[in-house]
Amino acid sequence: METDFKKEARKQYLHYFRIWFMIIGAMTVLCIVLRIMNLMRHDAPAERVYDYADVLTDEEEENLRVHIARKEQQMRIHIVLVTMDLSVEGAEAREQYGYRYTDWERNMQDIADDFWDENHYGYNKGFEGDGVLLLHNWYPGQNGEHLSTSGKVERAFSDYDIDRVLYAVDAYYATDPCRAYTAYVDRVCELLENSSNVLIPWPVVLIVPLLAAGIYAVANLRQQKAENTTAVNAYVAGGKPDLKVKTDEFLRKKVTTRRIETQSRSSGGYRSSGGGGHHHSRSGASHGGGSHRH
Amino acid sequence: MIFKCRNCGGNVVYSPEKHGMYCPFCQSEGSQERQEARTGSLTVCPNCGGEVPVEVHTSATQCPYCDSFLIFNERVEGEYTPKMMIPFQLGKETCKQSLREKFGKFRFAPADFLSEVRLNSMQGIYVPYWFYDYETGCYFQGEGATVRIWRSGNTEYTETQYYAISRSMDITFQKIPVDASEQMPDDVMDLIAPFDYGQMIDFSPEYLSGFYGEKYNMGSGAVENRANAIMKTDALKLLRDSYGGYRSVKTLQQDVTVRGCKAVYGLLPVWKYIYRYKEKEYPFYVNGQTGKIVGTVPISSAKVWGYTATLWACLTAISALVNVLLGLL
Repeated sequence: METDFKKEARKQYLHYFRIWFMIIGAMTVLCIVLRIMNLMRHDAPAERVYDYADVLTDEEEENLRVHIARKEQQMRIHIVLVTMDLSVEGAEAREQYGYRYTDWERNMQDIADDFWDENHYGYNKGFEGDGVLLLHNWYPGQNGEHLSTSGKVERAFSDYDIDRVLYAVDAYYATDPCRAYTAYVDRVCELLENSSNVLIPWPVVLIVPLLAAGIYAVANLRQQKAENTTAVNAYVAGGKPDLKVKTDEFLRKKVTTRRIETQSRSSGGYRSSGGGGHHHSRSGASHGGGSHRH
Repeated sequence: MIFKCRNCGGNVVYSPEKHGMYCPFCQSEGSQERQEARTGSLTVCPNCGGEVPVEVHTSATQCPYCDSFLIFNERVEGEYTPKMMIPFQLGKETCKQSLREKFGKFRFAPADFLSEVRLNSMQGIYVPYWFYDYETGCYFQGEGATVRIWRSGNTEYTETQYYAISRSMDITFQKIPVDASEQMPDDVMDLIAPFDYGQMIDFSPEYLSGFYGEKYNMGSGAVENRANAIMKTDALKLLRDSYGGYRSVKTLQQDVTVRGCKAVYGLLPVWKYIYRYKEKEYPFYVNGQTGKIVGTVPISSAKVWGYTATLWACLTAISALVNVLLGLL
């Protein structure tokens, strides 16, 4: 009989948690399938530094590549730098290079987004993967940068964060481009580390379920105790007493006063969040970003 | 005495579902025939001659050898004749179902707590009760206050009016039940009430067949203090109800005077289920008329830890998988 009860206990346990086990199983399968699909996608090129404007020495480029590689491994994002020396403004440039617009900012955005999408950048995935690209145009009279963000960087960076990255570049580009681009890499990583827009932080993944399980245990340990449900008149003949005397005589009254104080209210501020400069590129991928023109 | 079937000779019992005497052997209804024990000994089964364990207050029991239900004349007659009783209205199967409905969702109960095998050990017992009638006179005198608050401009006014309250009422209490059994816990028997006295009938030994029973263990005088406490509590509550509506009341004088008291002996139906877990007994009592259940479910520590840990593991796994999935999407 003891064996039967143990078997019954196992049956009750499996029955109770069956939905949970099914959800975990389905999610595990989905993770495996997605991982396989991601592996089958186009790989992004290993190159991260495209110095078309030739503002960096070979040694500086190499140092920057090493720096980016280290930071990418640490932050699990792609970090790309593109410099160029082309006109991106006006009807002439539009006709010559096939831009969609005549204005500088929108064309810079297009070039940055297209470069990212066409090269399948994006950590782990390619399309809409995690990462950031800085496009710096050195064309005389059109000098300026555009920062294109994607995936978790897009979710994490507000307009203010994008500006902070671009200001870091602005501070040094004229005197030391290599230092400016190193500052770009460092500032992106610094802001991303401090960003609260992570999916679910790992301590939360462990602690919240622990709290939930604790609440579940306490809630299920509580038992509804039997209460006295006998009405006060349950044993009274006729259900009510025979009232012989009922008098309520007024004795006196007392009045007190109190002055009411009025209070004024003040309102609080607001916090910025991620998703700065959100838009879709020509390939349909979601990007964030912003520009600074000098 | 024992009730036997005129048709097949089997032991006829009272069936709460059929509201009558019923032979479980030949399914006859109303075929009972009272047979008296031939020997003078209580401990010898009149049906099979087997030795029946009989406690000092047992009035009805079941023979452990032939399963016949026996009623002991000496303990339901003479000074032990109950004046009234409520027969069982709920059968064992209905009670088992009630227990399953009430405790079925309690996750941490041992696996066999509501098993058929365990629940089958449930016993229907006619518990001896003393029923008290009281004629009382209740009096209250006090000072009550009403409060009215209003605003005018930036000023709030509070007006308090005081009244002299006087109440006098006669209350007739009927059949305040107090169990007269030492083995039944008093607090549980108070909680299992109320019973619907509309189904109270004169005592007849036939209703005891199929159940266990006790004669009163103590006289009406020994338990009258419990009835008196119930009566006084209810009387004071009724007095309080009569001067409700005041914000606050100061009692100056109150009194409950008993003008007359009468006690009557009777039987009330209770199902008893004793679950043994880790060498400890967990008793459950079910009102055999209304189905009200009193009892505390044992907790299986293995289940508490097992279920809680599994839930934690599941939630952690799901959160982690959500993290991984969002990273992959």
